[in-house]
This record gives sequence, C-alpha cells and structure tokens, in this order.
Amino acid sequence: MKNYIIIILLLSCFVRFAAFGGDIVGKIKAKGAPNAGNTVIYIDKIEGKTFKPPAKALLMDQKDLTFYPHVLPVLVGTKVEFLNSDNVLHNVFSPDECTGKFNLGSWPKGQKRNFTFNKPCVAVMLCNVHPEMEAWVLAVETPYYTVTDKNGNYTINDVPAGTYTLRVWNEKLKADNVKVTVPDKGNVTQDFLIKK
Amino acid sequence: MKRGIFTALIMIVFFFASYSISTAIPSFARKYKTSCVTCHYAYPKLNAFGKAFKNNGYRYPQGQDPEMTKEEPVKLGVESYKRVWPDAIWPSDIAGNLPFSAHAIGRIHYGGNFDDPTTATVEEDKLLTFEIPHEFEILFGGTFGDNISYIGEMEWEHESEFAYEFAVQYDFEPELHMKFGSVGIHASPEHLRMTREHYNVVELQSQSGKFRLREGAGAGVEIWGAGNGFGDGGGFTYALGIGNGQNDGDNFDLNNEKDIYGRATLKFGGLSEIGGTVGQEGANSAFYEDNSLRVGGFFHKGTALVDTLNDKYTIMGGDIDWWFDRLNVVVMVMTMNSDFGGKERKSLAYFAEGNYVVYPWLITHARYEVTDKDTDDDTKDPTSSLIPAIIFMVRANVKCSIEYLVPLDKASKDANKGRFTFQFNFAF
Repeated sequence: MKNYIIIILLLSCFVRFAAFGGDIVGKIKAKGAPNAGNTVIYIDKIEGKTFKPPAKALLMDQKDLTFYPHVLPVLVGTKVEFLNSDNVLHNVFSPDECTGKFNLGSWPKGQKRNFTFNKPCVAVMLCNVHPEMEAWVLAVETPYYTVTDKNGNYTINDVPAGTYTLRVWNEKLKADNVKVTVPDKGNVTQDFLIKK
Repeated sequence: MKRGIFTALIMIVFFFASYSISTAIPSFARKYKTSCVTCHYAYPKLNAFGKAFKNNGYRYPQGQDPEMTKEEPVKLGVESYKRVWPDAIWPSDIAGNLPFSAHAIGRIHYGGNFDDPTTATVEEDKLLTFEIPHEFEILFGGTFGDNISYIGEMEWEHESEFAYEFAVQYDFEPELHMKFGSVGIHASPEHLRMTREHYNVVELQSQSGKFRLREGAGAGVEIWGAGNGFGDGGGFTYALGIGNGQNDGDNFDLNNEKDIYGRATLKFGGLSEIGGTVGQEGANSAFYEDNSLRVGGFFHKGTALVDTLNDKYTIMGGDIDWWFDRLNVVVMVMTMNSDFGGKERKSLAYFAEGNYVVYPWLITHARYEVTDKDTDDDTKDPTSSLIPAIIFMVRANVKCSIEYLVPLDKASKDANKGRFTFQFNFAF
C-alpha cells in the first residue's frame, strides 16, 4: 500500500513538471501615444487545442459615462455582462461584423445585459446615448492573455512550455507578431515597441 | 364649428410653458466631458434627457450631478459650513473654468425679395446674398452649489443689433424653481428651432405691433417645475410668471401693467420629465428617440403702451409633441385677442411640423404654417407657408441646414416671398 502511495506521488510530480512552463513577461514602449497602457498581449491560436470558456461571465461596467475596463480581453465563448451603474440610460452596441453588429437596447441603473463573444474578434463597444463612451473587447482563442499597466509592463502567467505566436493589440498603435518559446522551467522576456 | 373644436382643444389642454433662453451651451459638454447629443436631438433642439437636465436646474438627474461633473469646481466654502449656518455664509461652488461658450451663425440666401433687415429703405431684389456672419452669441450657464443655477446670452446680430438676457433661479426641487430675470413663455420650439425661419406663432403681433411672443414677458419672476408621472416615465411641467412686458430695450416698465403668463404640460410615456431610469429599458435606444406624447397649453396676458393708448392682448394656445421612433411631430395652435384703443381683433395662428431622423446626422424637416391676423376680416386671406428643410449635423457642434420657404397664399406669392436659405452654425 505504502509503495502505491509513493508511486502515485512520484507520478504526480512528473506530471506536474511535465506540464510546467513559465511566465511571459515584458515591457511595451509606445511611439505615438502618451503611454502603452491598455495594450493586450496574447498568444495566438494553438493548432489542435481548444479551451473551454469560463462558466462565470465577465463584467464591463458603465459608470460616470465611462466603460470600465476600457479594454477587456476574453476567451472566445465568454459571456460579458454590461452593467449600468449610472442614473441615466445606457446602451451597448457594436458595429463590428464579428459580433453580428449587436445592439443590446437600453437599460436603467443596476441592471445588466449580456453578450457572448463566440468568434475571435476585436470589437468596439459603443453607447448610442453617449457617443463619447468607448471600450474594446478582444475575443481571443487561448486563455493566455493580459493587459499592460499604464507603464507598459505585462505578465502572462503559467504558459505551458512550447513555442507560440505572441500578438499585440492596441487601439491606435501596432507591433509585429513574434515567436516566443517558453522553456520547460522559467520565464521568457519579450519586449515590444508599438507604433503607428 | 372650427372655432368650437379649437376652443375645445384649448380647454382640454389647459396648460402653460417655461421661457428658455438657452440654445445650446457647450460649456456643459466641457463640465461633464460629454457630447452635445447627450442633451440635444440636433442642437439646439433638446432631446428627452436634455429636458430632464434643464428640469433639474441644469443638473444631472437623481442627485447624480457631483459624480458626473468631470471639471472640478472651485469650492466657495466646504460642505461642513452648512452645519455652521447662520454663523457663516452657506457654502457653494463655481465652475472651475469660465462657463462661457460661443455660437456663430452664417447664412446664404437665394430667392426673390430679399431685403436688408438692418436698413429702413426698401432695396432692390437680390437673388443671392451672403450674410456671413449673421449672428454671434456668447452663451453661459451653470450652477452655484446645490440650489442656484443660471443661464444667459449676449447676442450680436449684424453690426448694430445687440441683445442680452439672463436668468438666475433658486432650485428648491425639480418640482419647484423660482426664476428671476428674463422670463416669458416660449411655448413654441422657437428658441430650440432647427430652421432659419421663425415660427409663425411667435411672429404674430398685437394690433399696435408692440407685442409678439418671440420677445417673452421681459424682466420678471417665474415659478416653474417638473415632476414624474404616474408609473414609469412621462410627467408634468408647469410655469407661472409675471413680467414687465416688452419695452424699448431697457428693463424698466413702460406702464404699470404687468404681463402674466403660464404654461403646463403632461407627458405620457418616454423618459420621465426629471430623469431617472426606472422602467426605461427598451429593445433599442438612441439619443434622438423618446416614444412619448406630450400635450400642453399656455396663456399670456398683457398690456403694451403706445403713446397714451393701451394695447391689451391675451394669448391662449395648445400644443402636441409626439415622438415615435425616429419621427417627431409638433402641432401648435394659438389665438390672440388684441384690444387697442377700444378696437378688438382676433387672430389665429397654427403650425404642424414633422422631423424625421434618417441618420443621426441627417434630419428631414417640414413645417406647415397658417396665420390669420384677423379672423373676422374675410377680405384678407390668411398667410400660409410650407418650409421643407434638411439638417446636417456635420459634427455634434457643427450644423448645416438647407431650407426653402414656400409661400402658399396669393399675397405672399405675389410679393415673391419664397426664399432658399443655406445656414451653418457652430458652437464651442
């Protein structure tokens, strides 16, 4: 019995180490924008692999005539709830084809309406009551994504070892895709310069 | 029979309206960091939220103004001084930046019988006339703390015409405001009109020519307010005021008579008159939509002095303002009784207009107007006209319109009154 337990523990360790990869970290510099904040870095589609979207919906708030967050990356298939936290009517619609150009109508404070992003997509979220409001939802095909802080720093945690295409999205600036290899153990650093 | 129906309509809609100086004030856009279309259908015409904003004393509804104000105000005393009163001045605040805005209008006229309005002499017809600039306005509006608000404008039209007006009000609640300054009913959408042509109802003059609705009731005092209706949405507005009456340009009364006026409206459906979002969910929404019906009525009674003769006039009217998806229809009827030196005259004016939003930046407009200066005099036909127009919102604060005044009565046709106008406005 004791031997079985030891074998199982050893196997567990092996599996653990076999799946281990690391983090992708880096800094993004922006040329042509005040900072590199709100930039999404994500791993492009991994052939032969699909990922189950989270069961729980993600939230995008409408507060003080502003969408929060301004940029929301999600895994394809994720449901996003749009909450109105203002005492004025809000609306959410997207003119982008990949969303089917949805329009959720209008709803009052405290209520939510939702939309599921079933296709890979870069979609702008607009409010047809308040044209100054804008947000972005990026529906991507892997769960390995993150958003930079206002200094341009980013970390994509717990990426399995392997070679991937790393993509960058910013609402105004661009950068080329790069190949990164995450080692079996340890982190990989990849910096970017985004520009017009 | 017609008169009976008309009288019945007025009896049914026994209401009154609030004078409104405002056209569109971009300093509010700066204060809240929001677009003009938050409050305007196509400026200066207000949308439902814009009316609720005004009805809250130029504040965001539901007490949400402090959190919506993005431009930090300058405090004239902190909140805690309220606890110290009367041993301190009640605290307030003023706008962090000067709450001034500018509005400019230019026009190009094409058509017969255009006469320079700034000269007394009749000039020969000019087919094409550039009137750029036509008008320049400095607009201001805002709040002082929780309970005082103000609005006003200075206006230069051509080189010689200068006008100014302002009002300050104490906002007890949305249901009760007390306004001091330039007052009067502007029951028609005159101050919020999208066309170059003025509404016929505000141009109708009393017998002496010393009163027309367009100039309001002069300097005075008004109480007014607005509230929610039963259930979700809609509501009421009311206004009752007293003023010096129209005069020769200063704010002193010419006689001991005062003008009194009033207006009330009832709105069914749509956004509530004082805002709020309860029950407002919809399958779609847009800043130019507000499925609702508003009915209103108004009166204005006053006396103008001409030499030693009094010109006593009474105006009564009613209006309907219907919104359905992209369509807005406004209908107004107005009667004026004028007693000048013992001679009575009854007048009637009405108009019906339709506005349709083809795109949020492209609005079609058509207005039909009839004015009968003397309903008892069958020797003179009423004047009537049709005004088709297209309004382009080039930007939220830049507007162009093309309109054509089509005279329909024989006298106006004979006088070659038809004219085409291209107008552009911008505000900042």
